[in-house]
Amino acid sequence: MKLCVPIFLVVTVAVFLANGPTQSLARGPIDACEEVELASPLRDADPLNNNAAIDLDGALDTAPIADTKVPLEETDLEELLGRAERSVVKLYGAGGARGLESYQSGVVIGDGSLILTSWSTVLDVDKVRVVTFDGRRLDAEIAGVDPQCELALLRVPDSGLLGFELDPQNIAKIGQRVFAITNLFGIAAGNEACSSQKGVVMAMSPLTTRKGAMKTLYQGRVIVVDVMTNNPGATGGALIDLSGRLVGIVGKELRDEQAGIWLNYALPMDVVKNSVDRILSGQANVAAANTQAVPQPHRLNDLGIALIPDVIPKTPAFIDWIREDSIAARSGLKSNDLILLVNDSRVDSRKGLERILSTINRGDSFAVLVQRGQELIKIQVRP
Amino acid sequence: MEKSIKTSIVCNASAKCRGGPLGFQLAIAWLLVFSSLVLECTRSRAIGQSPGEGPTQIQPAQLQPAQPEPAAEVLEAQKQRIEAMRVAAQATVGVFGVDGQGGGSGVCITPDGYVLTNFHVSSPFGHRMRCGLNDGKMYEAVVAGIDPTGDLAVIKMFGRDDFPVAKIGNSDRVRVGQWCFAAGNPFVLATNLQPTVTYGLISGVRRYQYPAGTILEYSDCIQTDAAINPGNSGGPLFNAQGELIGINGRCSFEKRGRVNVGVGYAISIRQAMNFFWHLRSGRVLDHATLGFTVATDTKGKVTVSNILESSDAYRRGLRYGDEILRLDDRQIGTTNQLKNVTGIFPPQWRVALRFRNDTDTVDTAIRLQNLHLPIELEEIVKGESSEEPKAPPKSPQEEPEEKPDAEEPGPGTPPQGKGVRKKEGALPKEKDALADRYETKRGFSNYYFNRVELDRIVGLQKPRNQWPKSEEAWVLAGTVVGETTNVQIRVTDSSLGFTLGDKTEAVDAKRGWTPWIQQQSLVPLAFAIRTWQQWHESGPRRMGEAIYIGRSPLVGRAGLFDTTRITLGEVDAVVYTAPETGTIQCIELFTDNQSDPAEIYFEKVQQNNGKEIPERIRLAYGLETRLVVDVVRSEWEPATVIESGKEKGGD
Repeated sequence: MKLCVPIFLVVTVAVFLANGPTQSLARGPIDACEEVELASPLRDADPLNNNAAIDLDGALDTAPIADTKVPLEETDLEELLGRAERSVVKLYGAGGARGLESYQSGVVIGDGSLILTSWSTVLDVDKVRVVTFDGRRLDAEIAGVDPQCELALLRVPDSGLLGFELDPQNIAKIGQRVFAITNLFGIAAGNEACSSQKGVVMAMSPLTTRKGAMKTLYQGRVIVVDVMTNNPGATGGALIDLSGRLVGIVGKELRDEQAGIWLNYALPMDVVKNSVDRILSGQANVAAANTQAVPQPHRLNDLGIALIPDVIPKTPAFIDWIREDSIAARSGLKSNDLILLVNDSRVDSRKGLERILSTINRGDSFAVLVQRGQELIKIQVRP
Repeated sequence: MEKSIKTSIVCNASAKCRGGPLGFQLAIAWLLVFSSLVLECTRSRAIGQSPGEGPTQIQPAQLQPAQPEPAAEVLEAQKQRIEAMRVAAQATVGVFGVDGQGGGSGVCITPDGYVLTNFHVSSPFGHRMRCGLNDGKMYEAVVAGIDPTGDLAVIKMFGRDDFPVAKIGNSDRVRVGQWCFAAGNPFVLATNLQPTVTYGLISGVRRYQYPAGTILEYSDCIQTDAAINPGNSGGPLFNAQGELIGINGRCSFEKRGRVNVGVGYAISIRQAMNFFWHLRSGRVLDHATLGFTVATDTKGKVTVSNILESSDAYRRGLRYGDEILRLDDRQIGTTNQLKNVTGIFPPQWRVALRFRNDTDTVDTAIRLQNLHLPIELEEIVKGESSEEPKAPPKSPQEEPEEKPDAEEPGPGTPPQGKGVRKKEGALPKEKDALADRYETKRGFSNYYFNRVELDRIVGLQKPRNQWPKSEEAWVLAGTVVGETTNVQIRVTDSSLGFTLGDKTEAVDAKRGWTPWIQQQSLVPLAFAIRTWQQWHESGPRRMGEAIYIGRSPLVGRAGLFDTTRITLGEVDAVVYTAPETGTIQCIELFTDNQSDPAEIYFEKVQQNNGKEIPERIRLAYGLETRLVVDVVRSEWEPATVIESGKEKGGD
């Protein structure tokens, strides 16, 4: 154990070198889908240089899915990872600009129709592009999100993939050998499988241990691992144990603002299971389509809320400013609040907010969940 | 903490890291102290202590119940690992500048001291470097060949003929989930000449990594989480058994600075070995292109989107819209896969291709063509290297390029490890002991090694003096296989006669060959016999400009063959010889790169009084055999007897 400490330190702490300016992602995923914004200069490469050709679609004719019913109980590592890799997918969505990746990782769960991933700006698209280990490309819809855990569930019609079981009892233990399977750096393209990394569970600890140091919405317990798992694009990936069972979902990149240390962690299974259950039970969903608009609904202007301009298809519902003495001001809403939920319905965009408000009577009060800085705040808006 | 302090000192003393080394080291040392406290606090919490109890040392026993004795297989595995690392470390090379500055890694693969490393490791040193082995000794070394595109270089150490070598593994068998270890000289820590060994997992295979701002391209590479850091470049990646599976050369760093974040890449040893003999030729190597581009449609079909009509693929029948099914032994489902396979072969190699057109599935082999023009390569080398041809220590005012080491190398990131070769006035005073092991020549990184290899090829033709002087005419007579048609080839210094049945063609022995080859006639059989004769009688050097190319495959034969290119007037003859015996296997006669060469295979060769005489000769164009001749008679007669025009001459 003593030996482990310096090794870990060298690996993890040396990242302090990131004292230079944050570099933009110079390249998009090689095999990203068309709607993804690619910052890739390689798209327009010389057509006569065959090495410069771009793979725009990477599916194979065959889909060699293992039809084994046994959920990953191999002990042989090669086979174990080879199988687990098949249940981790590459996700492509919005982003590509400075420091914001347009790709991340996702874990197939249950019967294969659901993908669990991190709730991030990558998902700010109508359809998230899913690329499977064998290069098939599927479109996923957001089934729901859980802002507290920063998790999202995607639904894919028929992935044909074997899903991980979510076992809340499968709690990682300190010292346990784990493997992270993620799409870090977007290395895996087309029909390449995600990358596997080895690690050891170092700690189970709440992220709030050092308050204010980590900018994160999620403040609960995490599994801290000893290697650099949480790289760009790794978020939403799988952390598995030696028997191939899921023990965690790799979290977002997180850097200690004061020390400059990057934290490598995953959300533990009990938290994940709980979150997925909440999402599936509809506690945090987009407004159901069957909710009827009311004749005299709330309007943003009447509430005294001005949102940032609606410039992209899914402009987040960011409050630009609040009129003084308005309903919103009195209720405690502030400028720069990001509205996440209204009466437990997920607000996926500015338009989504307007839609939800149109179903609430002007005389009724309603609850909103906003993100203010790194805090989640519940506010009751009373007319 | 001792460790961290030592780290700093080593770095400070040896590397003289440019770009704010002091700040960096202080930061590291400071952070080690700081973060260990954080870590311990975190751990304390995790095991239920209150942080108020202070930063007490974690006792292993608190984390897990004490285990009385590790299982026997665990100990056995550990023993094997230690042994594999011990052996592997012997062949691991620390590469330094002649003034002891800078540093990268390498791996020795032949007892006489040929070392594989990265081009981006060798290039800043120019042609001279010093190599440290873990026997504690430094060996003088000089660059042989370089491959700027594939980021490989071969350098040669001198001073021993029994250098420890790494066992070459099979990188095609590398799979995700296998354990591996890297050895080398990260952060130039190996100033005591003991390599650093880092253990890890194979994270991905057959990765394609785009060039990082330069032309360096990593195709079909191995991804590992074994810590690969600046200075590890050029060093070996071993599998758990200690077999060499790759040459480490690249990492994904991005925003976290130039230290490992769990993602390193190694060039597969298969690719390295494909290029090894080419690199030994002392040339500046190019990479290959297929001569066509592909697009992948929505169904995952990889189809030809553009094809050069001058390409070999076109001549083999590939057309726009055809679907690519297989290249080499690899099924092709994406563009990246195609690029992966292409990247591991030198140009001019022939690679098996399977494609499907409207009617058929076609199996063929295509000759790869050069990716760059020679002038482009020259510029690349000029740009990458700070070499000054004559003086061993390179010019200190050159910009110490740092880029190829990283996939996302940042401007302003502190150069570590090999980035530190700048030292004012560090010119060694003494005369360079290896001055005679370096020769400049256009197109070569070190022409000396081409001479070495050509000497080896020539040395294999010992019974040269057995060959009659070419005042005499050499006559080979035989029959077309499966027929009764007679064939006679008569070779003298002035003219060549080729007789098939009752028709004789006479050609000048030195010129006028081109039309016969371009019209794909049978006469080039005589050209090949002439080449055979000269090769044995006077050796390749006297025939024309002879360049050793490396080793290349031949269609239908196992293994690789020494390849020598000789310029014979307007025709280039490429001669393939067996590595052990030097027996000629095939002669290809090129008129240009736009048309098929005449390929003459020597299917059977007989020994005749110390001379090698062709026994069965096969002529082919493209992949199509045109004529097979069994030789029944070989004799020498006065050359003056025949100077034939077009006349009947069948005997």
